[in-house]
Amino acid sequence: MANRMNWLQGKTVRKNTPAGSHSRSSSTPQVQSTSSTIFGGGVKDPSGRITEYSSDDDQCPVCKSDKYLEKKLRLLVSSCYHKMCESCIDRLFTLGPAPCPICNKVLRKLAFTPQTFEDLGVEKEIAIRRRIAKEFNKRLEDFSNLREFNDYLEDVEDITFNLINDVDPAGTEARIAAYREANAALTLLNSQRDEAYILSLRQAEEQERKEKEARAEELRREEEEDRLERESGRREIIEKLERADGSNAAKVIQQTKRKQAEREASRKGVVPGKGAQALLRARMAAAAATAAMKDTPHIPFQDDYYAYDDMFVLQPVYVDPSSEAVRKDREGIMRAGGYQVEEAWERAVRSAVASLDLWPIDSSSDGLQTSNIDQGGDVIMSAA
Amino acid sequence: PVTPTLISVLFPAMAGSSKTPLYEASTQFKNWRYSSQNLAKVRSTLNAAAVAVIRNTFEADEPGSSSAVSFLTPDEELLLVRLYVSKIPQLCGFFRFPEEVEATAVSYLKRFYLKNTVMDWHPKNVMLTALFLATKTTNNPISLEAYTNNIPKTSPSDVLDLEFLVAQSLGFEFAVWHSHRALWGIWLDLQTVPNVPPERAASQSEVYDAALRHVRASRLSDAELIFTPSQIALASLSIASPALAAEWAETKLTPDSTNMTMLQGTLASIRVLIEAASQPVDVEAVRGVDLRLKLCKNPEKVVGSKAYLAKKAEEDRKAEEKRKRKGDAEKALADGDPFGDELAGRLVDYEDDDDDD
Repeated sequence: MANRMNWLQGKTVRKNTPAGSHSRSSSTPQVQSTSSTIFGGGVKDPSGRITEYSSDDDQCPVCKSDKYLEKKLRLLVSSCYHKMCESCIDRLFTLGPAPCPICNKVLRKLAFTPQTFEDLGVEKEIAIRRRIAKEFNKRLEDFSNLREFNDYLEDVEDITFNLINDVDPAGTEARIAAYREANAALTLLNSQRDEAYILSLRQAEEQERKEKEARAEELRREEEEDRLERESGRREIIEKLERADGSNAAKVIQQTKRKQAEREASRKGVVPGKGAQALLRARMAAAAATAAMKDTPHIPFQDDYYAYDDMFVLQPVYVDPSSEAVRKDREGIMRAGGYQVEEAWERAVRSAVASLDLWPIDSSSDGLQTSNIDQGGDVIMSAA
Repeated sequence: PVTPTLISVLFPAMAGSSKTPLYEASTQFKNWRYSSQNLAKVRSTLNAAAVAVIRNTFEADEPGSSSAVSFLTPDEELLLVRLYVSKIPQLCGFFRFPEEVEATAVSYLKRFYLKNTVMDWHPKNVMLTALFLATKTTNNPISLEAYTNNIPKTSPSDVLDLEFLVAQSLGFEFAVWHSHRALWGIWLDLQTVPNVPPERAASQSEVYDAALRHVRASRLSDAELIFTPSQIALASLSIASPALAAEWAETKLTPDSTNMTMLQGTLASIRVLIEAASQPVDVEAVRGVDLRLKLCKNPEKVVGSKAYLAKKAEEDRKAEEKRKRKGDAEKALADGDPFGDELAGRLVDYEDDDDDD
């Protein structure tokens, strides 16, 4: 009750507005805190892309205030995974450790952290796994065969499961302790190796970044030099012209230009060597790729029609009054798209020679039924 | 016997070649090619069958009446068809249809009456329908309204009702090879004959026009059902100018071969046909035929007659039966079990607890 009175009396100090404060993850939306303790900007994410979880219908289970009553309501999570608003935390824990109002576990104020995930179960699991990963960090190479490694993994998972679901916490902790004693050296070695690996990665990144910068710098310097060269060249020409007399003007210009070109060539000759090599390598790789993929042979479409092509030769132009108008039509008003008079001529000449020697059916001889109508006047359909 | 083709004569090595000459791949060659004897036989058998059927219909209507009716002979049918074939160029001239439309329509009409009889379908409406169909198949279409509005006493249904029948009678084979195109081709190819003066084509255009007139006359005959379009064209040219025709033919076939003699024989036959077709139609005879046709028409096709109504009733009954059968099938489907009641009983056993889930 006294605590409550403290709160009512406004002993809690309002924090600065977001404009004044700056948290570790400045890109995340500013968390509005009402407590005097800085609970940290948010989640354990160095890249700052993950924001703290909050919802419009948050309600503190202890004091039942929500976003309507207190706009800057922020619920933090205890180590026993119960949520509480900052004012309640202040009220309950400022004077030292106190039992959690929900589960009566003794907590300190520091035991509260901001929430990352909507589901507290996930939070708990992640925290536990993070801890276990630090303790159990053996790899496949540390075992003599795959079976043992799998057994080890299963044990680790078993422990994790127990911790998450509060199955035999004491026994599980004992197992962890036993493992730690047995494998302290190996664990240490592995953790050192991991750290070294991370370090080397970071160093490689640094290296690359530096190289890129150096190259950009180089390029800039070259451009600068080029510009200066050109400037000085122009100035040289002008000076020479001033000094020289009129007759040699052209010769002077030529000379200076030649000298400039030589100087440029000598400078440029050094650098592109590297670029040219890279280009050559790229081209060879491309050639190899295309050589590996063979071209399928082209099989032209062949139909089985004899089109009387050997019986006529199409001329490029004919004297043809009937197509006079179409051929003279400049705007193409009379022609449909794609119409070519040569095609009309070809069709005509082809039909003129088509089957010129196909003699009519001779059915005067009896028995030979060469037409497709049989005795009863029916059409013969089969070839039999 | 296999008719020897040019290819087998000029290139004996290729005689066994599997390549089909383009014309011989067409339906005109495959299905609409007859000899003159065959043609006559087809027409007479068709006529006989039609007379038998119509006689039966008359008998069914009124026993004894059929003996009084004098049916048309095949020649009279041919006469009537020929009259209406000659009306097609007039119509085409009025509508300004291209020559291809005219030629195609003529072919359609002729072919139609190789499969049907005049006593069933009067040529007047069939001719209009064939022309309409020809405008469509040769890609010179005209709207039905524009067509029927310009033909007196014709309604759109007159044309449309017969359209499917005409198409079916043609076997849906709409592509026709024409002789006027072959004639044009010959005229163009004459300019490639060696030692030809280049102005000849321009100066001798009357020869071309005359030959074209003969081609048009040949359409009134049976020539296209017996001979190939190139032969008809060459024959027409030979009537207009024998010298030119001979000159051209000699460049295509060797002068003294059997092929040449056979060609000359063929051309002679075609010339005879063209001469016959060029005679004007005997209008009186046709009128007489038309009058008799009114009496011997198939009563089933005459709207309003007893036989027609009976036939329609019969057809309606059949359609009704079919619909009933379909309705039953649908009802069975809707009732749940299309396979009948034998399999009634659950197909899924809900009491089964053997599953784990």
